[in-house]
Amino acid sequence: MILLEPHNVIIQTTLGEKIIKPSSLDVAFVDYDGVRFHLSTPERKTLLLLSMHIRCWDELVKYGALGGIAARLKPEYNVSLAIDLEQVPAGPEDREAFILSVALFKRNALAAPFESAFKSQKQLESSASGQGELMQIHYRDEEAIYVQSSPDRVTVIFSTIFSDETDRIYGKVFLQEFVDARRQPAIQNAPQVLYSNRDPPLEIRHLKQSTQYRRYGIRHLCPLPSALYRCQRCRYHLAHTAVRDYLHYHIKCSKAYMHSRMRYRVAEFQKVLNRAKQEVATTERKTVTGRTMSTR
Amino acid sequence: MSNVLRPYLAAVRSTLTAALTLENFSSQVVERHNKPEVEAAGSKEVLLNPLIISRNENERVLIEPSINSIRLSIKIKQADEIERILCHKFTRFMMQRAESFIVLRRKPVPGYDISFLITNTHSETMLKHKIVDFIIQFMEEVDREISEMKLSLNARARIVAESYLTAIST
Amino acid sequence: MDGAFRKIDIDAFDEDVLQESELYEADSRDPAQVLEEVKARQTSVRSYLAKNDVPGALTAILENAPYGPNVEDAKTISLQTLLTILNSTKSTEIPNVLKALSMDSQDTLMKYLYKGMAMSGWADSNASVLLSWHEKLTEIAGTGCIVRTMTDRRTV
Repeated sequence: MILLEPHNVIIQTTLGEKIIKPSSLDVAFVDYDGVRFHLSTPERKTLLLLSMHIRCWDELVKYGALGGIAARLKPEYNVSLAIDLEQVPAGPEDREAFILSVALFKRNALAAPFESAFKSQKQLESSASGQGELMQIHYRDEEAIYVQSSPDRVTVIFSTIFSDETDRIYGKVFLQEFVDARRQPAIQNAPQVLYSNRDPPLEIRHLKQSTQYRRYGIRHLCPLPSALYRCQRCRYHLAHTAVRDYLHYHIKCSKAYMHSRMRYRVAEFQKVLNRAKQEVATTERKTVTGRTMSTR
Repeated sequence: MSNVLRPYLAAVRSTLTAALTLENFSSQVVERHNKPEVEAAGSKEVLLNPLIISRNENERVLIEPSINSIRLSIKIKQADEIERILCHKFTRFMMQRAESFIVLRRKPVPGYDISFLITNTHSETMLKHKIVDFIIQFMEEVDREISEMKLSLNARARIVAESYLTAIST
Repeated sequence: MDGAFRKIDIDAFDEDVLQESELYEADSRDPAQVLEEVKARQTSVRSYLAKNDVPGALTAILENAPYGPNVEDAKTISLQTLLTILNSTKSTEIPNVLKALSMDSQDTLMKYLYKGMAMSGWADSNASVLLSWHEKLTEIAGTGCIVRTMTDRRTV
């Protein structure tokens, strides 16, 4: 698996099962970025309540995440969806699509700032001047996404921390490849990627906490002029919101691969060394009376 | 094997063969003790001149002979940050398993990446030329392994970046 | 209570303790005299090299090589002179040159080869040249030559 799936598999499978066979349910589970979910049936078996806790919910609401979502607050969770299993679309394809849309709950919530950035970019394009608001989404403790629209582009900045020294170096290799990969003719029209690991990008340099960014890897996507991507907006969100997980996932995979490789190589060395050992005769020695000699 | 590497390994091989003339020797300082003199460094008359074989500044081997043990330390080539970290990981991985690599030292000598300690017990229970073979093969393969790991990391990074950018540009 | 006396290395005060100077016979020459000799030899090596007589040059520098303490300058000059000889010799000539040397000179040459490698990073020490000399010398003089380098306390 190279690309991570944007939807939550637990929601998808549980919902699929419960639509066919409703039963009472109370499960809590988590997703990337410290997002917590809770699926329960508080009133009756056919009414599922999906609650989500997401760290940056207040910021998302500010940038318009609430639009179209029936919110019902539950303590400890920010937002809840009530799903009436009796009113689920009947056709298999419609049903699949419905389940997937629920499973994409987190991604859709995070997409809100991007939506509003693209909207404001369109307005700015017509007036051809000015800059959109710099939206900050602190989706993890010390990491954030920054979205800003300008007349000709939308700039998205991801900050991420590599707490481990090895991760930091691996991350640098990966990010460098992101920058280089765009030179390939097949992906020329992908958005431009820049990264810096020392100074924060210009757009967020004025922010108070920017001093902390010294030791972070910062990932910086500058989409191309709007005409090229307008039709691809949907995939855009999909990709953007998962970029951090994607990067870290592959760094971990690389480390695991290196480890298995080392294990193999060390086993080979071990064989070479074992060849040096002399054959010791291991015949059992017995005394005249037939007792076994024990070595101490 | 490349031509540049061959004389280097040949020099290590001959020096190591020369140094592997060990005998059982009890400590002169503490009664009823028998320890590797090169580590204990208790009496200087049993320590011999340490020899260094170098290929360049960043690749060298230090051989410290003594009457009943020799210590061989290797400094592995590390061209950049990635190689440095891969080398560190690899040697650490091996040294954590020093128990099964009988001749491996748990800690490298300062200034080197990995050390081996061969005592008279080892040279008595194992075939001397095979121990030398092992060290030489280790030196040969460790460089190759590190550069291959680096290549595979770069290759993965490339595929990851390309498939991501392809996904968002189509 | 002051426990510093416990840290004193009493073995160092033992009258039987082995001193560095007892490990080998000291050079009877005066350090200044050694330096003079080495400088004189440096010029004679140049004249040998001008005549293209590499064995002569090597013998000249390897005979009575400075050893022991207090002669660091002389050692450095010797090594430098030797390295110029080694670097200017064609690799095909090396075996014949080595065969012409006496056994003592071969041993001293081996010491210098190791010293040269230990000093890598120096401007005129070229590791690949030293390694090829080392290889040829081991072929001709055998492993014993290396063992003598290890055991001889008279380091150059």
